[in-house]
Amino acid sequence: MTNNIRVERAIKNITQAELAELIGVSRQTINTIESNRYVPSTILALKIARVFNKPVEEIFKLEKED
Amino acid sequence: MRTRYLFPHWSRYLGWLLVFVHIPIMLIKKMLVGEHYEGHAAGDTGFFTSDHLFFIATALFMAIGLFLVAFSKEHIEDEQISQLRLDSLQWAIYVNYGLLILTLIISNDRVHILFLNMWVPLAFFIVRFRWKIWQLNRLLKKEESQA
Repeated sequence: MTNNIRVERAIKNITQAELAELIGVSRQTINTIESNRYVPSTILALKIARVFNKPVEEIFKLEKED
Repeated sequence: MRTRYLFPHWSRYLGWLLVFVHIPIMLIKKMLVGEHYEGHAAGDTGFFTSDHLFFIATALFMAIGLFLVAFSKEHIEDEQISQLRLDSLQWAIYVNYGLLILTLIISNDRVHILFLNMWVPLAFFIVRFRWKIWQLNRLLKKEESQA
């Protein structure tokens, strides 16, 4: 799974720390999600999508291997 | 998120205190009694004798200390931390049973096997869990220094 959180953050002009605070996780977790090291739960994915006001599929995308 | 069955964050410090208080007391006792001290003096198997009380005050305090350190909440207890916790627990159980089987095969010393079993899973869990968190922090710092 890939994601474009980094791009969305840049558009909204918020830092990893600010996003982390908004959805109640650590900065480390946002960082590992952005770098595709950690796959968030559905709840967390929905929360992230809500921050950016977009459907989940626009932020998280399946890859061929998935 | 799923933070049930965990101790509050401050209990980690209490846990470390118990672990570190245990070490000098145990060393002093070993020096006084000799190398072969194992909780009970030879031939002494009574309850609540001074040796038995001492055993409770040291070995069990260490186990409780490790327990508190292992299962206290992080500052931010999110789902990634929960997953690291579970992964580390799985590794700790693997290591513990590997060691248990190995020691049962090569040793007859039941008392020491029991002792080993008391702290190996907790100690291994703590080391593995903290190491993973350290890795996450290092990754974050690296990213921040690049940005």
